[in-house]
Amino acid sequence: MSDDVRNGDYAARRQEWEAGVERELARRPERRSRFESPSGIPRLRLYGPEHGPATEDAYLERLGFPGEYPFTRGVQPTMYRGQLWTMRQYAGYASAEETNSRFRYLLSQGQTGLSVAFDLPTQIGYDPDHPMARGEVGKVGVSVCSRLDMENLFDQIPLDEVSTSMTINAPAAVLLAMYLVAAEQQGVGWDRLRGTVQNDILKEYAARGTYIFPPRPSIRLVTDILEFCSLSVPRWNAISISGYHMREAGATAVQEVAFTLANAIAYVEAAVARGLAVDQVAPRLSFFFNAHNDFFEEIAKFRAARRMWAKIMRERFGARDPRSLQLRFHAQTAGSTLTAQQLDNNVVRVTVQALAAVLGGAQSLHTNAHDEPLALPTEESARLALRTQQIIAYESGVADVVDPLAGSYYVEWLTDAVESRAWRYIERIEQVGGAVRAVEEGCVQREIRRSAYETQRAIEQGEHVVVGVNRFVTEESGQVPLLRVDPDVGRRRAEAVARLRSERSQTAWAEAVAALREAAQGDANLMPAIVRAVRAYATVGEICDVLREVFGEYRPGVF
Amino acid sequence: MVQPIRVLVAKPGLDGHDRGALVIAQGLRDQGMEVIYSGLRQTPEQIVQTAIEEDVACIGLSSLSGAHMEWFPEVARLLRERGADDVLLIGGGVIPPDDAERLKQLGIAEVFGPGTSIQQVADFIRQHVRAAGPACQLAPVATASVRVSGVDHVAVAVRDIAAAIEQYGRVLGARCLGVEEVPDQGVRVAFLSLGGTVVELVEPTAPDSPVARFLDRRGPGLHHIAYAVDDVDQALAVARAAGARVIDERPRPGARGKRIAFLHPGGLGGVLTELCQRSAGEGAGES
Repeated sequence: MSDDVRNGDYAARRQEWEAGVERELARRPERRSRFESPSGIPRLRLYGPEHGPATEDAYLERLGFPGEYPFTRGVQPTMYRGQLWTMRQYAGYASAEETNSRFRYLLSQGQTGLSVAFDLPTQIGYDPDHPMARGEVGKVGVSVCSRLDMENLFDQIPLDEVSTSMTINAPAAVLLAMYLVAAEQQGVGWDRLRGTVQNDILKEYAARGTYIFPPRPSIRLVTDILEFCSLSVPRWNAISISGYHMREAGATAVQEVAFTLANAIAYVEAAVARGLAVDQVAPRLSFFFNAHNDFFEEIAKFRAARRMWAKIMRERFGARDPRSLQLRFHAQTAGSTLTAQQLDNNVVRVTVQALAAVLGGAQSLHTNAHDEPLALPTEESARLALRTQQIIAYESGVADVVDPLAGSYYVEWLTDAVESRAWRYIERIEQVGGAVRAVEEGCVQREIRRSAYETQRAIEQGEHVVVGVNRFVTEESGQVPLLRVDPDVGRRRAEAVARLRSERSQTAWAEAVAALREAAQGDANLMPAIVRAVRAYATVGEICDVLREVFGEYRPGVF
Repeated sequence: MVQPIRVLVAKPGLDGHDRGALVIAQGLRDQGMEVIYSGLRQTPEQIVQTAIEEDVACIGLSSLSGAHMEWFPEVARLLRERGADDVLLIGGGVIPPDDAERLKQLGIAEVFGPGTSIQQVADFIRQHVRAAGPACQLAPVATASVRVSGVDHVAVAVRDIAAAIEQYGRVLGARCLGVEEVPDQGVRVAFLSLGGTVVELVEPTAPDSPVARFLDRRGPGLHHIAYAVDDVDQALAVARAAGARVIDERPRPGARGKRIAFLHPGGLGGVLTELCQRSAGEGAGES
């Protein structure tokens, strides 16, 4: 059969089918007059061969093979057949001792990587006895203020065997230094450490809010960490460029990809401006995305992000090392989609979202616990969340074939659609002068806010159904067991830091702090001075105070 | 004309999750209310101070970090202490049901959890906010009133102080006595002398200062009148006893080395009022 005959045949049959559908619609209309994705991408009724790559050449250009440019189908050739994704549950509360026992519990239950949640005072560079820390110590994460806490946090956890992700941004250099010192204490060389510091300050201005210093000195700290890790901690991911929180704050899938990649471009530009070679830093960049509700759009988003990053690195930055071109990412299910109403429903939401992350080729995954709309997870709810990943990994069979959805007419079309819309946002950010300028001027914040408000409006009008909230509502009664953080933890932690301050060597501490101040006033890499201060038992609050003096503090405008 | 309900949406503590707060702020605006958003990392003192300065009828607190039991009751306590507990106080965030019950006993009128609609919040505010318009109760008979010795100055809020100095000079022949920064108020001020009167021009230097918010809301114009008193501590106590709502609990340093305190516009014809004690050695009408 020649191509012409086949095409002609297809076109005729398709037309015939459309006519049939029109007749059917006259009798029975569809549920809605218009279908579209949450990013506003129209959804056609049916996708066909005209929506996928038309030729083998187009396949090679747009998809390629797994582990090959442009990495649409994944960053490794065998993906989960070789090794499953890392199951990495974000955890932390109260003191280092309490979190250490939760970590060891999760590892005993088959979790394969650690992810540290720090409390807000730690994330904003305040010691537990600072007035602003009132009521916040140990609440959303563990309180870590000196190397002693870090050593206790990983007590009996060999740091050469686990990989550890730390969600820490403005004071990332300080917490990384503490981890390095804790490793020394265990006799583990820095070259054997695997893990990630989030170290992504730009999205803190846009969405998450744990900034300390103004953008420019903050970018210097980010770059210091990129440079330092590339030389001294070679297996460590020096940054995790995160769309997750912007998405949680309201961004659409398209905005999430675009804003994240725009931030990534800004970091690479800063490194290049520092005089670093692209292929020196790029292999240690990692990413963090949200796994949200809209199943296919999420899968398309992950695939589009990989393809876009490969192009950016090769065409814009001239990267040559294949590892520089690979977008490796952690995914987390969407906390903001979970509902306080009918809590058990959240288990189902998390399952669907986690499945999208796996089908999208995530390197590691956190699944949220179903009780999070009300409190931090209990041990039971954290275990159920982990079990959800394990069931997908070991029972569903989806991990046994590489990128199994490739070639789906819809998925390929949608991957293209997400990509082209995301490029348009990136161009707009370039027009205002890049990602740093865009957050300084509030452009990103305004976009996110507008999307968040639109979502709320759609929910309140009932256009967007949230099961158990605006449809299928039931009267609920009964108590759910929730995690209670020891209310005394703030006092205990304040006493511990007071004890530390009186017991450490004052001379070594004072010298290290003075050296840090001097380094901050110059333009040398700050990591060595911070490591020295941490070794001398300087606290996160003390180190950040020195940097506040030199750098000033960020005060957001009203956008 | 019915005055719109004024609401302060505030984020106490260190929590950075502001999606809910921002959506509620915008939603209440679309419901016809006037909404001020505090921004992140506010102390209870800052929140209550803003609420009083802005004369809001309702404060909505948002916290998703688990610190609500620390911050929410503290805001309620400060409102009582400042005599502003007629302000409706509501809250929301990630708050376990037991805590929500406890907060209601501690002065938070309602706690809204995830899944709450804007309409529910707006309806609650309309039903529970203090009555709009002048209060129908008689002020307590005061045993004394503030002894005012004269008008110290009249203050005008402007966006561009240099342009305003030029205009006042060109049109009214005003002479500029000096320009100074008052950093803790986030303003730059100029004092102009015209005839026997002093006009103070006030320009904001910080985007979140009270004067900046005043300009955003009402545009340039009369900002406050300052009355001269001999003893500002005593005058403030007398004003309070006479039923005035005070903005400053205690007198504080103002421009030109004076000690000052502000009274709330409510009950004084809608005009922000300053009590101003002249420094020793300064002759009356000489400034």
